[in-house]
Amino acid sequence: MFVLVGRMDEWADTHLAVHMAQHVVIGDAAIAVMVLAVRGPLLVFMLPAPVLVRVAKARPFFSLLLRPRVAFALWAASLATWHVPYLYDAALRHQGLHDFEHFCWVIAGLLVWTLLIDPGAHRRLTVGGRIALAAAMFACGQILADVLVFSFHPLYPAYPGRRGQQLAGVVMMVEQLLTLGVLAFALLRPRMRATRLVAA
Amino acid sequence: MSPTRFSFEPLYLAVAAAMAIAYARARPAGGWRIASFAAGVFLLAAPLNSPMETIAAKRLLLIHLVQNALIADIAPLLILLGLTPAMKEWIAARGGARVRARWAILAWLVAWYGTHLAGFYDWALRTGWGLNIEHGLLIAGGFLFWWPIVGGRLAPPLALAYLGAAFVASSFLGLAFIFSSHPFYSYYEHVPRLWGFSATRDQNLGGIAMNGEQTFVFLVAIGYYVSLLLKEEE
Repeated sequence: MFVLVGRMDEWADTHLAVHMAQHVVIGDAAIAVMVLAVRGPLLVFMLPAPVLVRVAKARPFFSLLLRPRVAFALWAASLATWHVPYLYDAALRHQGLHDFEHFCWVIAGLLVWTLLIDPGAHRRLTVGGRIALAAAMFACGQILADVLVFSFHPLYPAYPGRRGQQLAGVVMMVEQLLTLGVLAFALLRPRMRATRLVAA
Repeated sequence: MSPTRFSFEPLYLAVAAAMAIAYARARPAGGWRIASFAAGVFLLAAPLNSPMETIAAKRLLLIHLVQNALIADIAPLLILLGLTPAMKEWIAARGGARVRARWAILAWLVAWYGTHLAGFYDWALRTGWGLNIEHGLLIAGGFLFWWPIVGGRLAPPLALAYLGAAFVASSFLGLAFIFSSHPFYSYYEHVPRLWGFSATRDQNLGGIAMNGEQTFVFLVAIGYYVSLLLKEEE
């Protein structure tokens, strides 16, 4: 909410780095924290019963979306598609498309972070699988961040400054390092301890 | 001086030759190991004994930074990957086993950032022979850094943490070059330019090359250890 209303949203119209910060927060950081917050029994009681019934009916569909390859493909497709300059600029010109873009970030983020954090303990992925997914997301994000940072020409006509574009790339890099890095560390920590104990 | 003229750092030609002779005398088995070692030795010697050295030392920071990335990141890794288990044991018995990962990464970072400090870099370029020290520190740092990984001293979870920490900690230098709006090294402000790059653009491109190379190398290494982690779970 904070990043989509008020001053930050105004700045996002003129600064690509702020717009990028908005995207990474609503598609990554905020979703990660939200999914983390509803782990365990809270997950069952979070949704009202009528909604839960409907969700249960659509379970095969959600199961399909939550297959690791499907979720990752949707996330990567969303990342790649919405950063195509033509679409990015079109979204800036049409509020409806812009809202849909943000909706895509939220849904794609929700899918991958559900797999990464596994709030319902469904074990769709092993710890190694979750690390692999995080690494794959990081690699994809790095490709985009590198395109923005390494480019010597502004890619988006709405944001003419090259420096702002490079800064947007760094914003993405740093956010991914923080969210995915913390997750990877949390997942690896017990194993690192176990490895040390075995070595001792 | 023509930028295509060969320049030499004979010290590293001798080091590479000595390594190749010692390796050949040990009669290693396995084609990929020999190929890896040969590629590593080539990447250690060739950038410092070719027109690349001329351009790096007399014209462009971009080429100097590519040279540093090759000799500090890639060559030591390839050389260590080319070692047989017996060779690794030999090294471990002669001090390699005492190398702790936390000190190795620290030494590597000190070498990486320390050699790129403006005062040291300018001094090394102006004296010429100082480049031998700069390159020696970078190569030694590279061997120290990759040894805990290639020497099999870190289990996959620790190796992933090690590589992740190194990737993050080392990336600031490249980013500083990319985002700089004035040249860090006065030496390159006064040398004849090549390919029409201004000193600042040259530095920005050097940062891009350095960051791109490190991203590639580290992501490949991280990917390898993630695959090991998955295999362990199976």
